Amino acid sequence: MIAETEEWTKSLVAAGKREIVMSERETLMTEREADERLIESCQRGDREAFRILFETHKDKVYSVTLYFFGGDEALAADATQQVFLKLFTRIGQFRHDAEFTTWLHRLAVNVCLDEHRRRRRFIPFGEAFGVDEPRVKKSPEEIVGRGEAEVSIRDAIATLKPKLRVAILLKYFEELSYEEIASAMNCSKGTVASRLNRGHKILARRLGHLRASLFRGE
Amino acid sequence: MFRQHVTTQLSAFAHGELSHDDSQRIAAHLRDCERCRQAYEEIILGVRLAESLALRTAPAALWEKIESALPPPTSAASSATSSVASLSAGATSHHTAPLEPEHGWLPFALNHQLLAGAAAMLVITLGLGAWWFNGPSTRAAWEVARLSGAPTIDADRINATGQLGIGEWLETDEASRAKIKVADIGQVEIDPGTRVRLVETKASEHRLELARGRMHATIWAPPRLFFVDTPSAVAADLGCAYTLEVDERGRSLLHVTSGWVALETPVRESFVPAGGACLTEPGTGPGTPFFVDASETFRRALSRLDFEHGGAAESLDIILAESRTRDTLTLWHLLSRTDDAARRRVYERLAQLDAPPAGVTRDGALRLDQTMLDAWKDQLELSWWRE
Repeated sequence: MIAETEEWTKSLVAAGKREIVMSERETLMTEREADERLIESCQRGDREAFRILFETHKDKVYSVTLYFFGGDEALAADATQQVFLKLFTRIGQFRHDAEFTTWLHRLAVNVCLDEHRRRRRFIPFGEAFGVDEPRVKKSPEEIVGRGEAEVSIRDAIATLKPKLRVAILLKYFEELSYEEIASAMNCSKGTVASRLNRGHKILARRLGHLRASLFRGE
Repeated sequence: MFRQHVTTQLSAFAHGELSHDDSQRIAAHLRDCERCRQAYEEIILGVRLAESLALRTAPAALWEKIESALPPPTSAASSATSSVASLSAGATSHHTAPLEPEHGWLPFALNHQLLAGAAAMLVITLGLGAWWFNGPSTRAAWEVARLSGAPTIDADRINATGQLGIGEWLETDEASRAKIKVADIGQVEIDPGTRVRLVETKASEHRLELARGRMHATIWAPPRLFFVDTPSAVAADLGCAYTLEVDERGRSLLHVTSGWVALETPVRESFVPAGGACLTEPGTGPGTPFFVDASETFRRALSRLDFEHGGAAESLDIILAESRTRDTLTLWHLLSRTDDAARRRVYERLAQLDAPPAGVTRDGALRLDQTMLDAWKDQLELSWWRE
């Protein structure tokens, strides 16, 4: 056992020094091809293809809008509906030289920010001074059922400036790369990095009291 | 000496968005700069908070609302439906010119004579659509690239590329190698003579099973998103690169080259930092982690202590005598794996090599007060990071 362990350790040390490089050029295309064929069907007006596309992306889009609007389910459902209606009515404009998901996310971002701007004219002073208030007060049911921590995080997300909020939501729900987020938000990768950095810091400072429960969960 | 702080790049570092050189530079800076290290801890807390957000399910009635807001389907659209059926069945779709934007939404003439046929096609398509969703999902698959030889997925040889679905085995013979793209969070390179299975892939968890052979993982996701099950422990990624090998008896050896990995069973856990390694055995679980540059005598003694019966006192004598400051990694783990008498000896040596910080008492450490052990570990990590 010991001798074997020694050999094993040596081989692993050698292996560990070998750099592992994944070439992006070798990224496989199968899923993208399936998406492209589905989109082509949508572009021909195929209703069932639309439904498949909707089913594929609905939960992520809904989650982004739900957290963007501070947990307001009705507003999130309306925004999600708007996103997909825009998607379906404009899908003829989509060209395959762009990433479909990036295009979808750009629509979602625009719907969220447009709605935010529209509502800004009618909502409290807080936003005018750069502090958004959560739209929905937490109900006892939420606190008990989902946990105080989750509600606190949701509320803290809702108080981020809209562009920080969108960057956080695209990163954690859509699992986009910085480049994809930059494309969806029409900004540079550096700006995305900066927004995420600021977002993370604000969350950590506002919710530092959750650190123990968060890491205990490991 | 002037040092360029790296606080503005820490989220990109945590997300693996930087080049290899930049990542190395920041990791080196973090080892030496307390201020940036504190900032990094703050960023990591923010990351953990954000990633704890749960995906929400869209209301079930949403599609009906969207569908009712759309213009009614047309005969041409119904005809086009067959292409989805073809897609579902794996046939090649025919290509029709996409609609021009100025034509607007569905510029087809309504043809009532075709509606009945369209309805029938819709029924067929819905069935196929349901299969498409509920059957083996290509979306729940990982992309595999052949690097050499003839790797197989569930015994089917793959050509240049393939898809590894949930529950499927990827196997390499003695002349084969393959590379797996782990969702969008990293990659795993599979060496010859290896057998791995995709257990789960979802936003909150990606999990492989390594039955035998060797794999090299590079993960750039937040901690605890990628796991590898082995016959004797689970390797939980904490943001890292590592090599994991399992032999025919189910023993495994982990060697971490960047970041941290936790090896876990329900009753035991080992934290292994970059430069460290750890053995596991079925029935015992993870052994005590050690640095691979520790002396041979030290490593042999540790292996005996962890996995062999008898001679524990002698092995511990050697470990304590041979230990360097950096080997406090091993000693810190041994505190909670030794009995009272041996634990006191471990404590004394540990305190001699790196005195406990304020607030950590001898009594507290010996009774395994977790807060105190964690505080001591935080301090010890500084020496673990050094080359």
